Amino acid sequence: MPLKSYEHCCSTLQALASLGKIEGVIPLLHGPQPCLFTNQGGSMSCRPAHLVTAGTLINKSDIIFGGEESLKRQLINIHKKYNPKIIVIINTCVPQLIGEDVEGVIQELREEIPELTVSACQTGFNYPRSMPLGSDASWVALVDCFKECEKVSGSVGIIGRTGQDAGNLAAVEVLLKKAGLETFVFPAPHIDEMAKIVCAERLYPVHITNQLTCRRIKEKFGTDYHYIETPAGVRGTSSFFRGVADLEKNQKLHDLVDQEEKRVGQELDSIKRQFAKKKVRMLLVTGPANEVSIGKIFAEFGASVFIVPSMKNAFYKQEKKIMQERYGARFIEEDFDSLEDVIDEIRPTVVSAEFQAQVETMKRFLPTIINMLYLTEYGYDYALDLGANFFHNLKEPVYRKWQHLMAQYGG
Amino acid sequence: MIMAGTVKDFRMQEIHTPSAFEGAIWAATGVKDARTIFHAPPGCYINQHQNILMNDWTAELYSTNLSYANIMQGAEDKLEDVMRKVIARKPQAVVIITAPSVEVTQDDVEGVAKKVGLQDTVIIRPPIGGTAGAGKDAAMLSLLDIMETGADTKKNSVNIIGPTFNMFNWMADLCELKRMLSGIGVTVNTVMTAGATTAEIKRAPRAALNLCMYPFDCGVGVAREMEKRFGIPYLDGIIPMGFENSARWLEKIADMCAVDASGFVRAEMNSAMEFVRSNMVFTVTFEMSAALSFDNNNTYAVGIGEFFTGEVGVDIVMCAVSDEDAAQRVQAVCGNVLVGATIDEKKQLFVETAPMAIFGNFYDKKISMDEGFQNFIFADIPTIGYLNTENCPFMGFRGAKYLVQSLVNEVYMKIFLETKGEMSGPISTGAAAWEIEAEEAFIKVSEMIPHFVRATAMKKLHQVAEQTAQERGCAVTVAIIREVTDKYTPTKFKAKFSTVFENTRPARQETAGEDEENVPVDSLAFSMQWEAAARRMLELVPGPFRQAAVSGTEQYAGEKGYDKITGDVVEEYRKELGM
Repeated sequence: MPLKSYEHCCSTLQALASLGKIEGVIPLLHGPQPCLFTNQGGSMSCRPAHLVTAGTLINKSDIIFGGEESLKRQLINIHKKYNPKIIVIINTCVPQLIGEDVEGVIQELREEIPELTVSACQTGFNYPRSMPLGSDASWVALVDCFKECEKVSGSVGIIGRTGQDAGNLAAVEVLLKKAGLETFVFPAPHIDEMAKIVCAERLYPVHITNQLTCRRIKEKFGTDYHYIETPAGVRGTSSFFRGVADLEKNQKLHDLVDQEEKRVGQELDSIKRQFAKKKVRMLLVTGPANEVSIGKIFAEFGASVFIVPSMKNAFYKQEKKIMQERYGARFIEEDFDSLEDVIDEIRPTVVSAEFQAQVETMKRFLPTIINMLYLTEYGYDYALDLGANFFHNLKEPVYRKWQHLMAQYGG
Repeated sequence: MIMAGTVKDFRMQEIHTPSAFEGAIWAATGVKDARTIFHAPPGCYINQHQNILMNDWTAELYSTNLSYANIMQGAEDKLEDVMRKVIARKPQAVVIITAPSVEVTQDDVEGVAKKVGLQDTVIIRPPIGGTAGAGKDAAMLSLLDIMETGADTKKNSVNIIGPTFNMFNWMADLCELKRMLSGIGVTVNTVMTAGATTAEIKRAPRAALNLCMYPFDCGVGVAREMEKRFGIPYLDGIIPMGFENSARWLEKIADMCAVDASGFVRAEMNSAMEFVRSNMVFTVTFEMSAALSFDNNNTYAVGIGEFFTGEVGVDIVMCAVSDEDAAQRVQAVCGNVLVGATIDEKKQLFVETAPMAIFGNFYDKKISMDEGFQNFIFADIPTIGYLNTENCPFMGFRGAKYLVQSLVNEVYMKIFLETKGEMSGPISTGAAAWEIEAEEAFIKVSEMIPHFVRATAMKKLHQVAEQTAQERGCAVTVAIIREVTDKYTPTKFKAKFSTVFENTRPARQETAGEDEENVPVDSLAFSMQWEAAARRMLELVPGPFRQAAVSGTEQYAGEKGYDKITGDVVEEYRKELGM
């Protein structure tokens, strides 16, 4: 375990942020005051509306005598005030520790208020070293509330990463629709739309983060899922669509991919030439799982890529294999004490990390991009936009200037 | 560089810049214990006095209040009368500035001054047609006449030449520069002129070095003359703006004064490094663009332009100045430089270059509001009322931090909040279907939003698009995407967005048989009662924006408590929007 945690955030915050993006859902943070304060503030940058965060404010008395009553009371309050379609209890570290009977509360309420739908997920130290699983766990809680419905013949479902993907999966969805495939997306901005995922005949996860969600949909609704690869970068996107085209036996999708490759080929070549000239050596450190997908885009451009992954599930392992074989990407799965140690070993020219790591990279005047700002990284155009503007936005001359200034004046 | 024409057309919307008369008055009134007499008609006087008080705390300005008859018959007696009354109040010096009308008739001001006989009387005749800088220089050059001669040089002391009343932020900048000089063991002998006393002005020749604070605006000619008369060297080549130039400025002064600046500079630069390392600096500034509009502070244009591009990675997408030397220098960091621009030229370039933030004066603020730019930082005069203090400098080490701090906070928070809904907004507005063309346009739009707000901004646009589609009972179309991007994003993005919609196939009709441009008023969704006159006014709104106009007006009426939309309500809302 590193001396600092370079994770994107706590899995509780990730669950709160993801659920907070979905209309019709209210997350209820079951936890003590510091947990509510920091997670509410932390999730503000991700949440679009309805910024009030419901919580139970577990206190010392709740810890001794049990916080179930407070939890129940708050669930009823939310139901009365907002009448959401689903309330998801985000069960944090403290109630997990004292063995709070959350399921018991849900069961009681089911009998007392049948029209109220409540679900729960366990976060905090349930996923201490893989923040993105906070999102996956919260999706599972939603899936648990979905009702069976008839599957639409020949339809597909795409399963995204976190709440940021809700309404931002068009880069994948459009091509599938153009190929004549009825497409259901998960997550979607509204819970009703998300619930339609159970109508899909087959699921295609588009990120490594959602294995628990796919598995739960399969368990509950019998839908098969196929992880092909994350549609990030030009080749990654094409491979994903071609994989879907093969499984769905859809020649039109192949044809569309041919067209897209022709459209973007020239710009991709130009980006590759820039990267060849610059010889980028990039270290990507534990983002919200996008360290892998963004790493794939840069690897395709020709950067030497080193990735410290935030999660190691089966989807990740598949993606890792693809990236190793296709681009020679290297993965650092061993523990390290500080990022500076890894930097000393890898000697990157660029670091992609969360901002708590920037403190270490800036000391060395290492150009740094912040992982959490590079989301919804799917499709051809995202990759081209990233590549075409990368060196301008990296502002290497500014780092050089500061290196010079510090050499001259600092110390 | 775009130069204003040599023969300038008369343009109705021209923004006027201050003249040599303002410059002279601002320089003179800054001397605390002197009294300035503006030998002028009352209208001239009132305007000047009020103008000073828009930006500065106090001003002692007197007038001869000349009538037409006074000027035609010669106003020497009026001046003599006013001089005697002012002198009776025992000022340390009297400064007489002649108004343009007196310059035409050429009163014998010098003769009156001689007759009255106060030794420390300074007469300034600003050049008609001169710039504010020329007026300041004229005033400061006149002040040289009351300075002592033959005094010993005071070691490690400097004069700061340039700050005058009505120079934007002079007080804070001066305060920071004094702090820095004190940090290296250099004292300020005299400030020319703002805040100085007559005694300080008189002893200016004792300084070991003159520092030109605004070398692209004023003071260099004065420094040269002081070198000639009193043998004082001067420094005008470094503008102390940004961390690097602040350090270089101090080093150069230390070198010229033979003191050691290294310890102070090291501490300041280490602090600067800590600052730029912080989370909110490069993460935001690297994808930020700014426009600098400095009609009356060319020095700021050069200083801020070089600092922003070189040290924090902000792209300067346009710059407007009034001095050609400044323009040449700014060109190194900005491809779009205007010299002596009209309001129309500036407006056009704001829209074309679509900066995320604009630095400028009141008129720039107004243009930016009219064009939908939300992020603005006052940085030049006229401000038409703006409170300045010793805090928040733009110059020096602290000024560099404050510039970044104010820019980042202004832009980040406004864009950030723009991506949010209400604090306790609706839990759900319901889902809506999307047309493929709309989804494609949405992808392209996303690429034009900086990464630091992209995901949340897109979520907001998505939500508003669906809400709009639901209100109209249709799927989300390209027209709706265009409408919401136009309404819910700063102009920075709007200008770029237009390329998305130009390249996108036309949207499917929302109402059968109607094209995108032709949206009949009858087809619009109204949630309130609209009087016929108000409906007719909607005909003046371009088709694609009519529904947005309806929604906006109804929201406004709701907030104001109106129960129906009348022509007056539409007009009121239009004015509220600044249209």
